[in-house]
Amino acid sequence: MSMWPGGIRRNRSASSFAVSCSVAGALSALSACAPPPAPPGDLVSRGKEIFFNQTFDGNGRTCGTCHPARNNFTIDPAFIARLPPTDPLFVAEFIPDLKKNFENPNLMRQFGLILENLDGFDDLEKKFVMRGVPHVLAQRISVASNQGPRTGWSGDGAPGDGSLRSFATGAVIQHFTKTLNRVPGVDFRLPTEAELDALEAFMLSLGRQQDLALPLPLKGTVAKRGQEIFLDNGLGKCNLCHVNAGATANFGGGNIGNANFNTGVENLPDQPADLAGERNPPDDGFGRPGDGTFNTPPLVEAADTGPFFHNSAIETIEGAVAFYNGDAFNKSPSGLALAKTDPRGIGIRLDATQVVAVAAFLRVLNALENIRISIELLESSAAKGFADRAVAMELIEQAVSETRDSIRVLDGAGLHPDAVAHLQRAAKLARKAARSFFRRGTLTRQSLDEQRLARARLIAAP
Amino acid sequence: MVNRYLRLMSAIVVLGSALTAQAQEATEMYIPLGQSPGVSGKTSLLGTLESVDAAKRTVTVAGPSGARTVGLTDRTSIWLDRSLQKQPNRSGTMADLQRGHRVEIKLRKGEPTPVAEWIKVQVAEGRP
Repeated sequence: MSMWPGGIRRNRSASSFAVSCSVAGALSALSACAPPPAPPGDLVSRGKEIFFNQTFDGNGRTCGTCHPARNNFTIDPAFIARLPPTDPLFVAEFIPDLKKNFENPNLMRQFGLILENLDGFDDLEKKFVMRGVPHVLAQRISVASNQGPRTGWSGDGAPGDGSLRSFATGAVIQHFTKTLNRVPGVDFRLPTEAELDALEAFMLSLGRQQDLALPLPLKGTVAKRGQEIFLDNGLGKCNLCHVNAGATANFGGGNIGNANFNTGVENLPDQPADLAGERNPPDDGFGRPGDGTFNTPPLVEAADTGPFFHNSAIETIEGAVAFYNGDAFNKSPSGLALAKTDPRGIGIRLDATQVVAVAAFLRVLNALENIRISIELLESSAAKGFADRAVAMELIEQAVSETRDSIRVLDGAGLHPDAVAHLQRAAKLARKAARSFFRRGTLTRQSLDEQRLARARLIAAP
Repeated sequence: MVNRYLRLMSAIVVLGSALTAQAQEATEMYIPLGQSPGVSGKTSLLGTLESVDAAKRTVTVAGPSGARTVGLTDRTSIWLDRSLQKQPNRSGTMADLQRGHRVEIKLRKGEPTPVAEWIKVQVAEGRP
């Protein structure tokens, strides 16, 4: 899922179960976690232009290099494999000054991992971490916390005031530089205040603008059971840290916004990047030195934006759910804290069918979001006149891409073949519409009908 | 059930209450004086170092709104801003805080007295 550049939205601790929030804060600071107001559309358009085209006089990368709209604003090995060797993602492979200590091309190509010097740049040889690229969807409802904004995988990804607005400045310094000297005005230029305003506006416009209100009237037997487990604070316990499958936490005293946890992902025994035999130092998460915590990502967008966790340790959504059954989690500060509150002393323990059910639930949520976006895109396209044909076609192409994601997410677990059939027809009709000179409107409306039929197979009328 | 939540929340208070949101320091080092987004011109002190008390670990900065004394701790980062010389910025030490230098100081939030989270010292053109 994604927000499309056409202007349509698509939308781990120092030994602690470290939700970065106190009870007092949790009880009183709902307002502090309130999402920011919607920015004006022209600022969003300007931000989009900067996001995808502005290199800041650096090595050729843009924000869109690692957050491409056509891949749900993230990168993964399959996407990377399709890029030409000259793509700026691969600057470490063809810019001599960046060949050493800027990226690890092997880990990038195999696992989509990016090099970050989060604990400083004084020992480039040894001090770095390898992290996956998080999507930037649903930021409006995922970043705020009682203690302030949380950006990036560990919640401390932005310099300056630590806000989403300031994030781009740090990203330019880390990822856009021509040399490892990182001299502003020489190796890159820093974003201006106006550019930061626009970039923030664009990022806030991506994806969902509000959280779901679970439970949903799902139709699929397995997904419905998955939702029950997800919401059961004595069984799945998912909803404690991912309220409404979002990125905020609620332990009974009100929503505390986005929060950091040490869930033990770093203790997984066979992390792919380690198995690759490449240097892959432990990632200590939030702070400097780190406390081992990482913040919660939203789950609605998860199924089509893997690999999962900060280190891309797990490829499938089923594997990501199953992680919470393992020792790495249950012996982590978070797992132990959960166990303390459980009458049976259990952190999280789900059987295989329950893991699959929760994953099916997340797949269906993801598909529903894809469908929502596709419908928005197609409706917007249908409203375009002949003079706006090029824009209309772009919107249709984006809808086709979204529809492809929804098919993949459902089909990947054998879910709702009836809905998949409708989605396939929707995609086919939309492709025809994109090619048609005179029947674009009609075919687009037929594609919309198929999208709605697919949605009706997944969920009872909203 | 409510009791269980209260226990969980208590665990959070004990184990996680000190964890506050934080800006990233790694890249901050490379941002020249006066250009830190959301900080410069808003909450930081920008001025000239008027005095340094190494024993008390304090510095006094003279800025547009008068002089202000700020404490340093072991957690205070000191950076040398060499961007005017087109040179990479570097980590500095207390010894780099010298009277007359232009500095920017970000104050640590939630402290009863002003404490520096970081100090950037501008290295003037022509100086090493």
